[in-house]
Amino acid sequence: MKISYNWLKEYIDLDGISPETLATKLTESGLEIEEVKPIAKGNNLVIAEVKDVKPHPDSDHLNVVVVNYGEGDVQIVCGAKNIYDAKKVIVAKVGAVLPEITIKVGKIRGVESNGMICSLFELGVDKKYLSEEQCNGIEILNDNALIGEDPLKYLGLDDVVLDASQTPNRADCMAMWSVAKEVGAVLRRKANLPDMKNSYSALKSSLTVESGTKNCPLFLGKIIKNVQVKKSPKWMVDYLRSAGIKSINNVVDISNFVMLETGQPLHFYDADKISQKIIRVVDDIEGNIVALDGIEYPIQKGDIAITNEGNIIGIAGVIGGDTSKIDENTKSIIIEAAMFNHVSIRNTANRLGIMTEASSRFIKGIEPLGQQKAIDRATDLLIELADASGIEETIQYGENNYKPTVVVETLTHCNKHLGTNYSIEEVVSVLKALDLDVSVENEKFTCVIPSYRTDLKIPEDLDEEIIRLIGYDSLNATLPTMVATIGQLDEKQKLERLTKSVMTSLGLSEIVTYSLVKEEYVNNSVLPFGKHIKLASPLSDDRKFVRNNLMPSILECVSYNSNRKATNINLFEISNVYEEDCMQTRLGIVLTDNLQYSKLHNVKISSDYYSLKGIIETYLKKIGIDDNRYTIEKNDVDLINFHPYRSAKIKIQDKMIGVFGEIHPLISKKWNLDRVLYAEIRLDLLNEIKTSKTKFVPIDKYPSVSRDIAIVIDRDLEVEKVIKVINSNSGKLVKSLEIFDVYTGEHIETNKKSIALRIVYQSKDKTLTESEVSEVHSNILAKLEEKLNAILRS
Amino acid sequence: MEKINKIKEEVLELINNSNEMELLQQLKIKFLGKKGQIQELMSEMKSLSNDEKPKFGQMVNELKQEVTKIIEEKVKELEAIELIKKLEREKIDVTLPSYKQVIGTTHPLMNIKKEIEDLFIGLGYTVAEGPEVEYDLYNFERANIPADHPARDMQDTFYINPEVLLRTHTTAIQTRELEKANGKLPIKVICPGKVYRRDDDDATHSHQFMQAEGLVVAENITLADLKGTLQFLADAMFGKGRKLRFRPSYFQFTEPSVEIDVSCHICGGKGCSVCKNTGYIEILGAGMVHPNVLEMAGFDSTKCSGFAFGIGLERVAMLKYGIDDIRNFYTNDVRFLKTFDRFD
Repeated sequence: MKISYNWLKEYIDLDGISPETLATKLTESGLEIEEVKPIAKGNNLVIAEVKDVKPHPDSDHLNVVVVNYGEGDVQIVCGAKNIYDAKKVIVAKVGAVLPEITIKVGKIRGVESNGMICSLFELGVDKKYLSEEQCNGIEILNDNALIGEDPLKYLGLDDVVLDASQTPNRADCMAMWSVAKEVGAVLRRKANLPDMKNSYSALKSSLTVESGTKNCPLFLGKIIKNVQVKKSPKWMVDYLRSAGIKSINNVVDISNFVMLETGQPLHFYDADKISQKIIRVVDDIEGNIVALDGIEYPIQKGDIAITNEGNIIGIAGVIGGDTSKIDENTKSIIIEAAMFNHVSIRNTANRLGIMTEASSRFIKGIEPLGQQKAIDRATDLLIELADASGIEETIQYGENNYKPTVVVETLTHCNKHLGTNYSIEEVVSVLKALDLDVSVENEKFTCVIPSYRTDLKIPEDLDEEIIRLIGYDSLNATLPTMVATIGQLDEKQKLERLTKSVMTSLGLSEIVTYSLVKEEYVNNSVLPFGKHIKLASPLSDDRKFVRNNLMPSILECVSYNSNRKATNINLFEISNVYEEDCMQTRLGIVLTDNLQYSKLHNVKISSDYYSLKGIIETYLKKIGIDDNRYTIEKNDVDLINFHPYRSAKIKIQDKMIGVFGEIHPLISKKWNLDRVLYAEIRLDLLNEIKTSKTKFVPIDKYPSVSRDIAIVIDRDLEVEKVIKVINSNSGKLVKSLEIFDVYTGEHIETNKKSIALRIVYQSKDKTLTESEVSEVHSNILAKLEEKLNAILRS
Repeated sequence: MEKINKIKEEVLELINNSNEMELLQQLKIKFLGKKGQIQELMSEMKSLSNDEKPKFGQMVNELKQEVTKIIEEKVKELEAIELIKKLEREKIDVTLPSYKQVIGTTHPLMNIKKEIEDLFIGLGYTVAEGPEVEYDLYNFERANIPADHPARDMQDTFYINPEVLLRTHTTAIQTRELEKANGKLPIKVICPGKVYRRDDDDATHSHQFMQAEGLVVAENITLADLKGTLQFLADAMFGKGRKLRFRPSYFQFTEPSVEIDVSCHICGGKGCSVCKNTGYIEILGAGMVHPNVLEMAGFDSTKCSGFAFGIGLERVAMLKYGIDDIRNFYTNDVRFLKTFDRFD
């Protein structure tokens, strides 16, 4: 809402309150003023008389002008073509500060210039209110303009607009009269609004109004037979301009002006363009209407339409129709002041993409008593400014069942709620300043709420009014006094934090990607688990589904970075994923190129299956899941996303914890990537698993003995099987096992591989003798041969 | 006797002239070895008279000790020289770039989330998260947002079906927590999480973003308590001594509702580009929990009260790190992520 400072002064004494001060006070008390904008800017401006114009001796488009503004002849070089038509002009004197320029004495092509002759555009007036001539040339003032006077005041451009952004509950601030009341309460000064005159004797109405929809419960109509369409008085033009509305003629302007005053949108129809004086509101009609803006709009069922003899003559609450619009020949008018359902208006306005002053007021909510107020005020102004006569009585469809709201609050509750220590006098003075009808009984105050303050319903609403008008500066800062509570994370939150700290310490960086994805991303998902969730109202096909896995989002991020020449992209993300009626929390890990790399220092840990497996195993260990708790097996669950021979699944008991490995070459190709390693792990399941407790085991006292062996086994035999055989035949003496080489090639049969192992023997109880070690070692070798056909390489 | 002196002289000269360890070893053998010259002298003792023997023996022994000492000293001297040479050979260019072990970074939004969580954990709050795919009931109805409210429009909210949607604010977590409390007080909870609104993405809007909301419900909770609590938050996020400015506002969930500005952490309130010359930065929405909200969750609003506040994590991160485009958080350019390669 654009609040005109000058207009406001019609209602309230603003002496000593500058627009800036007012803006600050309003913002502090809840009506946020986003901008304080003068209609025109500039100081040191005077009205001057043009005494002489001569072409510039050294330019074909400049002129040398002599003006007088009461301080003798002043020479100014001016470029405007229309200077020759001008008798009175606006001069910015030397020293004047304009929006774009500061005026100084200067020489223009050798000729001295002592000021500037201005156009309104140069003074910052919005082009919207200017004609083409006004934009392109200097402003030519009427002959009656007094030289030496302030031109902005003379032109009515000395106004300042406060652009207010009212909160949704304060729809009343879409009306100047309510704003005046608010300003009055803030400044503790009385606002005086215009009285209704009703100084006419009404004729019997020839109009019928009716509504066929509950979305229009109230409709007031009135015919005024004789109006004079002419120019609006200057003050009205100025006020409308400040409010952002361009003057059209006095009748149309009155409808806008009264809407701005009261907040109640009005519509005026040219009564002579409506043959049968029956207006019917419906919401079940279909058809097209050419509106006042000349554009044709389609009306469908659900839109509230104003009809006459079955024809749509207006889109209710949004915009009127072209066929019945007021023009210079209009003689008699029908006034409409109605109540329309805000949701319905919102839907229609949004669908048609027209947000008008009227529709935005209906959408925000209008005052229950606004219709009568607006129609009476409009009638008064039509009599005063459009010489209206032949005024029919106001007729009404529907009942207005408005009853004033009464709210009761106590001082104790108010102070307890706010943490303040206000006195009853302070509180009551605020409520009275707001024009509430307050009666006090001990510490109880009963308030009758004015009709336009529909937001005040409960005691807490009054508390807010009290503190916002006394000022939030009065509020102390305390901490809650209550029983002590323990602040902590739950187990799942702890696990997520731990996961992040392990991942970052292993060199991976955290990312956060969008949860909404395209359909392709939810089909063929990693670890699928249900039916996809599709949005009913997506913004685009790219963000149509709630993701059920992390892989595509993470690969998209890798691809983005890879396209920008990044290498060694090693990332992780923790996020919830969803399917119908089900949520999981997952960890996604991606590795490319190398985990650690330096050519200079010859460091290279490449990102491959084994380094990813290492990350996962280190991670599981760190979160308290020892390697005897889980198994890593060949991937037989997802051969679409993963390389069939370079991927695995992680299981704990029967639970599938995750899959990982090299992604399938067809998938990496799709993302224009080389080899990519990926893991997706169920954090929600890991959280359910009981972790191993940390327990101290005494450090071994006795020396260990190690034996290196190399065995040849079938190429397809998994090394895990070898380890199992060794461990199960260790006689509890095998302390550790290290595989330090796997070899295929020369000297080994093509279907075989050689495995080199170091077995470390150690006893908890004594120093092992050579023969004790040999006995176990030989047994292990024998068992390897027996069970796995493993041959010791000599 | 002469022979002894001769050997002594010879030894001294030879040793002084030998600057290599190998040479020294040879001298050691030559003079001190089993068949060395000194041992040879001892064998000459047989030919001496019994009177001469002790003196000669003593002299040879002294010679032996002296030679041993001289050689040892020379060895040490040479070793020292050798070590210096060795160290010199091991010289490296200490200015050559190092190998920096890669440590990953955490996401800036998550850093802010963690900071806020930890602050409130310290004040005795628990952390609650809740689902992002949420019922209309918890997101709107229980938050006192009536059915015909514009926020519930398909235009602004990602609906999945008429009852299910993507939560539009973390208030949905609060309404769940209120219900979960099952009438038991106090409630002290911080609710961080991802939220979704049907906005086109641009530099300042994102269809997905993060919020953290706090909720305290107990007997006698006041608006002044909210101010004290938020002073902690402002000081922790933007440095000690922040000033808070409360401005009246409107949220369905709270009454009274306030917006809270924090004095600018860049200029300290003098006015700069970050605070748009106002000295303050708009950062929090808050208020006293609306009685309807308490009643819907089964509390008697005449017996308890509460405050709630909410903060946008992107906004905090943007202000703190000077990020000018919200999309940076979700693009995850590794060059962007690298900025957060530190603990602070």
